[in-house]
Amino acid sequence: MTATFIGVRHHSPACARLVADTIIALRPAYVLVEGPADMNPRIGELLLGHDLPIAVYTGYRDAERRHGSWAPLCDYSPEWTALTAGRDAGAQLRFIDLPAWHPALAEVRNRYADAEARYAEVTERLCAAFAVDNADALWDHLFEIEPADGLAERLAAYFDLVRGDARPAADDVAREAYMAHWIRAAVADAGDRPVVVVTGGFHRPALVRLAEEGDRSWPELPEPPGGAVVGSYLVPYSFRRLDAFDGYQSGMPSPAYYQHLWESGPREAARRLTEAVTTRLRARRQQVSTADLIAAGATAEGLAAVRGHVCPARADVLDGLASALVSEALETPLPWATGGRIRPGGHPVIVEMVAALSGDRVGRLHPSTPLPPLVHAVADRLRAMGLDGSGEIRLDLRKDADLERSRLLHRLRVLAIPGVVRDSGPHPAGDPVPAEQWTLTDSDDRMPALIEAGGYGVDPGEAAAALLAERVSGPPADLDVLAGLLFDAALCGVGELTGRVLDDLARAVRAAADLGSLGRTLNVVLAMWRHDGLFHTGGGPAFGTLIAAAVDRALWLAEGVRGGPAPADPRRIEAMAAVRDALTHAATPLGLDVAAALGVADRVAAFSDAPPDLRGAAFGLGWSLRGTAAADPGRAVRGTFTPALAGDWLAGLFALAREEVLHTPGMLELLDELVEAMTDDDFLIALPALRQAFAYFPPRERHLIAARLVALRAGGASGPDLMRLDATPELVAAGMTLDERVDTVLRREGLITS
Amino acid sequence: MTTDHVQRPPAEVRHADELARLRATDDGDRPPGWALSLRAARRFVIGDEKLGVTRKFVGDPSLIDRALVTLATSRGLMLVGEPGTAKSLLSELLAAAVSGTSTLTIQGGAATTEDQIRYSWNYALLVAEGPSPRSLVAAPLLRGMAEGRVVRFEEITRCPLEVQDCLLSPLSDRVLAIPELTGPDAMVFAREGFSVIATANTRDRGVNEMSAALKRRFNFETVFPIADFDTELSLVEAEAAALLKRSGVGAPPRRDVLEVLVRAFRELRQGQTARGDATDRLSGVMSTAEAVSVAHAVGLRGWFLRGEPGTAADLVTCLAGTAAKDSPDDLAKLRRYLERQGSGPLYEARHLLPG
Repeated sequence: MTATFIGVRHHSPACARLVADTIIALRPAYVLVEGPADMNPRIGELLLGHDLPIAVYTGYRDAERRHGSWAPLCDYSPEWTALTAGRDAGAQLRFIDLPAWHPALAEVRNRYADAEARYAEVTERLCAAFAVDNADALWDHLFEIEPADGLAERLAAYFDLVRGDARPAADDVAREAYMAHWIRAAVADAGDRPVVVVTGGFHRPALVRLAEEGDRSWPELPEPPGGAVVGSYLVPYSFRRLDAFDGYQSGMPSPAYYQHLWESGPREAARRLTEAVTTRLRARRQQVSTADLIAAGATAEGLAAVRGHVCPARADVLDGLASALVSEALETPLPWATGGRIRPGGHPVIVEMVAALSGDRVGRLHPSTPLPPLVHAVADRLRAMGLDGSGEIRLDLRKDADLERSRLLHRLRVLAIPGVVRDSGPHPAGDPVPAEQWTLTDSDDRMPALIEAGGYGVDPGEAAAALLAERVSGPPADLDVLAGLLFDAALCGVGELTGRVLDDLARAVRAAADLGSLGRTLNVVLAMWRHDGLFHTGGGPAFGTLIAAAVDRALWLAEGVRGGPAPADPRRIEAMAAVRDALTHAATPLGLDVAAALGVADRVAAFSDAPPDLRGAAFGLGWSLRGTAAADPGRAVRGTFTPALAGDWLAGLFALAREEVLHTPGMLELLDELVEAMTDDDFLIALPALRQAFAYFPPRERHLIAARLVALRAGGASGPDLMRLDATPELVAAGMTLDERVDTVLRREGLITS
Repeated sequence: MTTDHVQRPPAEVRHADELARLRATDDGDRPPGWALSLRAARRFVIGDEKLGVTRKFVGDPSLIDRALVTLATSRGLMLVGEPGTAKSLLSELLAAAVSGTSTLTIQGGAATTEDQIRYSWNYALLVAEGPSPRSLVAAPLLRGMAEGRVVRFEEITRCPLEVQDCLLSPLSDRVLAIPELTGPDAMVFAREGFSVIATANTRDRGVNEMSAALKRRFNFETVFPIADFDTELSLVEAEAAALLKRSGVGAPPRRDVLEVLVRAFRELRQGQTARGDATDRLSGVMSTAEAVSVAHAVGLRGWFLRGEPGTAADLVTCLAGTAAKDSPDDLAKLRRYLERQGSGPLYEARHLLPG
């Protein structure tokens, strides 16, 4: 008896049904499933009776490589129905693919992604021939919505076509050779009883061919290299995470919809999808009228008829809802038409629709499942580092032992384990302090949180890395969030992740529109690059590229700000200061273009349409970088000294070049002269901004300025003497008003001229 | 209608042979009042190689599905999008496929009145005979309803709000009252097949915002600029080559110049470079249609001034007039964009930008 090969699309309800029906009909001796062969001794664990979705997680770590990957299973996974139906039929169950740590799967994070997505040319042609938008719609059209008769033949034809002449990558070849070895052995062992093989459809044509000839003994399980740490275990999973893989790693989208399809058929699934979208929108107080729903239903039915579906498929329902509910122009194309991640700027109705498709079902493991290793690992580490129990902990980050402890605590904090709170320590916006203060409280909530976090990895470092990686690849975040993630990654000591965050950050930096948040990011990155001893980021070239990109972008944005007089924006000034810091500290090692930066600074400083604080800052930038001012600073100060602008301009200047201002002879005298020349009214107008400007001097330097002014104006008297006044402020104010009135009268009568 | 010497015959005349072939092979169910079945109408727009039907609209096939299904329901179809995304072409094609005629068209504008939409009178007859069906002059809406055809309403948001609202009762009650007449003539009931395709561009948003009541009677479909670089490039190349040939230019446009052109248009349209850097978005229209007209102008300059295909230098000169129009802001943004290139043919020619 030969084997029956069923090529499936992972997470396809139609394939799951076909697999179950075939196994029930054939009652095979062996059911062979594409899955990690190292889980074979523990297949019993999978069948304990969990609430799906769950996943087999495999973590691998050696000197060079760290890798974590998932094999997610849900109710409608063909692999899952193969296991359950096979068990009920009394068949021997075997996973036949290479273990997840094997180098052939080094690029794979989701074992059950679509292998054919990497060989897209044929699917593109098929989509054009069937006039559908993308491969997902094509799949629904061909398999999910169609009645089940002839499904096996259609699937085989489809996958033969997709595989076609595609030359598979070496990784796929290795996996197929290994799987074929298992199949030959099982067929030989089963004698005249049938064998059912359930694998990804892309592999099927090759397996059918390879299973013909070759070694018929049972294959060896590959051994991980010495010194490597490998662990595979079951973790709870969720629909949201199932839907969150992107690019080549994504499998079938919209788990909630296919769950309904699996449970109650396409018509009911369409109904529930509409219901879920409506409920979500109404909960958000969006108007969804009965007339809209009728229109949506009619459109969906109509679309199904045009596209030749017996009842509305996923895209039909969504198209119908979008037609009826969105009554304005969209900013971005419909996500189910283009495929891929939802892009920023999506219409709120569309965003809710995608969320409803994804669903919020969360899996739960059976209580007798072995605990994820993370739970033990965390307990061991905490005990070893003396962090178990409650209390306050103070850490000195310059000591290696304390740094290790800090990293462990940060990893737990990132994993949202209760009872780990940091009171103070290095902060992205502030100066790096090498000390941390933590408060630990032991609580019963820790265990469930750890079990849940167990889905992310075997040890805290790996889990924190996976969680941060997920956040990075989540919905597009703004710069502040990404900078925060980068900082978290550094605090957790997650080296390889910083690389990914840096890539995303570089992308976001190049597209940044807000000078303020760009400046903050530049500050974080620059601090991490400069204080490598504290963060141990490795200071790699990626940091350098990022700093260069941020400086470039900040200058580009600064040059684009216009609109004339506006109050000083401290964030904008900070950004310019960050640019100066980067150019001062990193220009030579990173090869930043100082000449170009000076060019921008001079242009902005001279550009009358730019806001005064930015012009001042640009002037200061040039001054501080060159050491001497490009133009005569005296003239520049005089040129901007109108009551409404002076303070804002000076704020920018002082923030970037206060040293230069202090140490240039005549500057202070000039400022004094200009302030002196203001009328009282003008002075009152200028005062708040001037105050803000002088706040950029630290108290010591303010004292210095005051002392010099006093020396200038009051001869020998000391500062404190001048501050002392015996009269009450009201009396002084009244006296000054009187003086002013007398002056006005005298001027009016022509008795004085100035 | 004779097609000789007509600059641009309507779609049903231009593609008469394709429509005939589709009609001959059409075995699908037709919605009442339609000239073609839904599937045949779809093939007319997105093409069918086997039948020799050309692809006339570049975009997601699902957009056409939704648009056709909307026309078969009781709601009107509203095509929205940036200017120059071929909304009007799509509406013309749909009307030609569904009703066999695309000429029942109302062009919206600030001066559009209800007369031009519903009906007016032949005043000589009106004075001589009084109001009668004979003295009635039917405008596109009345004709569409009476004959059961698709009515096109271009640029609906350019019309004043009260004029737009005369669509309300035809769309919801499917009836148009002519109070001047008496008896059965006083009410024109819409026949099967009547529907409305309106277009509006997002740049005019807010000029005359549609009323909620009217919005409710339309399904909105957003038409996006062409998403794929290569598709847009080959479209621009084909269209520009055809235009240049008609203008008597002997050399086809240079592919590398067109590439630079299309890339610049896409970047200025999206406000993002191919690498992901944000740049300024021009407030002017940067549509594929504009790109074609720039490519045409570039070719003309090159050929008639120097007898060779247009170069990147010609492109920069033409960009100012088409992309920036009369907006100094856009001109400044364009200059900044060229400056930022750092290298390449556009950067070399940046000083040619006038102003």
